This record gives sequence, C-alpha cells and structure tokens, in this order.
Amino acid sequence: MNTLTSQQRDALRELGNIGAAHAATTLSTMLMSNIEMTVPDISVVDIAKIHEHVGDELSALVIFQITGEVSGGGYVLLHIPKNSVIRLTNAMLGMTDMERDLTEMDQSALLEIGNIMVSAFLDATATLLSIIMLPSPPSMIIDMPHAAFQSILAIQAFSDIDQVVIFRTELHSDQHKISSNIFLLPNKPMLDEILAMLDNLMK
Amino acid sequence: MPSPDEQPVIVGIGEFATGRAPMSSIGLGSCIGLVIFDRDRSFGALAHIMLPDSQGRSDRPAKYADTAPSHLVKELTRNGCKTASLAAKISGGASMFQTFSGNLNIGERNIEAVRLELKKLNIPLIAEDVGGTVGRTIVYYPSENGKISIKTAGGTINII
Repeated sequence: MNTLTSQQRDALRELGNIGAAHAATTLSTMLMSNIEMTVPDISVVDIAKIHEHVGDELSALVIFQITGEVSGGGYVLLHIPKNSVIRLTNAMLGMTDMERDLTEMDQSALLEIGNIMVSAFLDATATLLSIIMLPSPPSMIIDMPHAAFQSILAIQAFSDIDQVVIFRTELHSDQHKISSNIFLLPNKPMLDEILAMLDNLMK
Repeated sequence: MPSPDEQPVIVGIGEFATGRAPMSSIGLGSCIGLVIFDRDRSFGALAHIMLPDSQGRSDRPAKYADTAPSHLVKELTRNGCKTASLAAKISGGASMFQTFSGNLNIGERNIEAVRLELKKLNIPLIAEDVGGTVGRTIVYYPSENGKISIKTAGGTINII
C-alpha cells in the first residue's frame, strides 16, 4: 500500500477536493458564513504513527460507512473538536454560552450536519466516478479521535493492516472560530477500486 | 531516577517499549495496553496490542494478544528480570461502536486473548481497567512499581 504514485496522489487529491468543496458549501449555507478549506492531504501512514495525525483531545466524531457501487470497507469521519462543536451549535441556534458540556442538543445538531456534509461529499465524489456512493446511517461518539480511528482499523474490513491511507481536509470558519476535519479511510479493496476508476477517467 | 514530569515515550499501535522511563499509549479504543513489570525492580515494558490473533505473523509481535505477552517476557528476562517476579496490568479493550457490520467486538476478544496468554505464561494479572465504551490514554511509570495512570476523554483519571 505504500506505493501511491504521484499521479495517483494527484488524482485522489482532486477527487477529495471536489468532495470537500461540496461539503464545505453545505456547511457554509448552514452557518451563513464563509468556510475556508485546505488542500486535501493524502498520507500513507504506518499504524504505529497514527497518533501523529490524530490525538486524544475530546472531540465529536460522526462516522459513516461508505456503501453503494464500490467495495465495502471505507469510512468517512467528520471530526470536530469539543470547543468547535459548542461554537457550531451556538452559531446555529443563536446561543452564546461557551462554558458548558456537550449535550444531546449538540449531538442531534451534529448528526444532522454530519449527514448533510458527508452526503454532499460522497455525492460529489461518486458523480465524478460515475457511480453511486451512499453513507450508512451515522454513528456518533464524543471521545478521543485516536481511539475511534484505532477501533475502526481493527475491524475485519481492514484485515490486519500495517499501513493505512488517510485522506484529510480541514474546513474552518474564521467568523465563528469553528474548525473541523473530514477524514476518508478507505480499506485496500476500496482504494484500489477508486484508483482504477480514476485511472480510467484519465485515459 | 526519572522525574515525574519527564515526557513519556510514546508507544504506537503494534509497538512496545522496555525500560525505566515513563511510557504512554494514546487513545486506546479496542486496543489493549499491556504492562508487564518486575515487582523487585523499577523496570518494565508496555505493548500496544491491536488484534487478538497473529495467525502466524511474527514481524510485529507487540501487535497481537497471542504474541505480545511472551515477547515482553522475553525482553524483560533478557534485561535481567526474573520471570517469577513479573506481574501484569492491562487497560483498554473498549467497544466504541456497535452499529457497523463486521465488528465482532475486537475489544472483548483482545481482553480474553491477553488474559489467556498471561495465564499460560504464569504471569499474575494484578490489575485491570478494561471494557466499556470509552477511549483511554495511559501512562505507565516503571519507577513507581507498575503504576499506570488512565485518562478518558472526559477527563477522569484512574490509577491502577
């Protein structure tokens, strides 16, 4: 898996760029604010070094399994640190209290936002590939990002890997000081299939 | 003697460390942090176990519950520890998601596999903080006789 060519990286980055831009647009509409977005970062990461990419600070993670016309075993994660979650819910509901714990209200707002953003992300990438990709019903946890990543990579779909391709785009709103990340974790069969489709597209 | 606020060595998924300095594994989900330490010396080892069964793989012994315990024992005896003075503590093995397919509760299987292996090796398991649904960051302090500090994302701290 450690042999992504620069051409494959470029193609994946472009694919992710289109997906993330659509997700950013939905967030921008919901917040009525500008959303800045970084160029997607694609890393081939050894499992022992995942802690260099995601930490253990309290965060909300909305997690979707990718289903549809593509080999199963890929996940999309929307990651939002705790303070950004509170600012996000506050901005949407017109509240100002920052000194509070995360509540059910934050969770249901996040599930909704996550659903909308990730559907847009998958729709746009799938359209480019001329296939259908759908998010599973979301699973949400308020916990450590590293623990969530690790738990996902330990399930069977990843079949005892030593490395994983992590795709990450950061979205942030300067106005509301909200930062979030969209992660895409494809397993090997899904990555290979997407690379093959991209390869065909460029022929 | 390491000072209490010395930066711990980070032990990533599938890795292990041995020695006298503090060691840490960040964000254990279904993974297990296995500490085997010498009750007579300020010396021990930490493995960050990911999966229950190595299925014969031997290139990353600390990654699997069936190979990590014997690997740590070998490392410790190589460093002069007596098998009879070794003891173990474990943390982790949470089940963070219930909803995805193909998730046959790896956390629970990791816990069972480590317990079984320690029993085979005759290493007493003297403390554990396992299972549940939350992630854990652990720091192991060899200088404090096997002390492990376990933190959750919510900020609670448990010492075993």
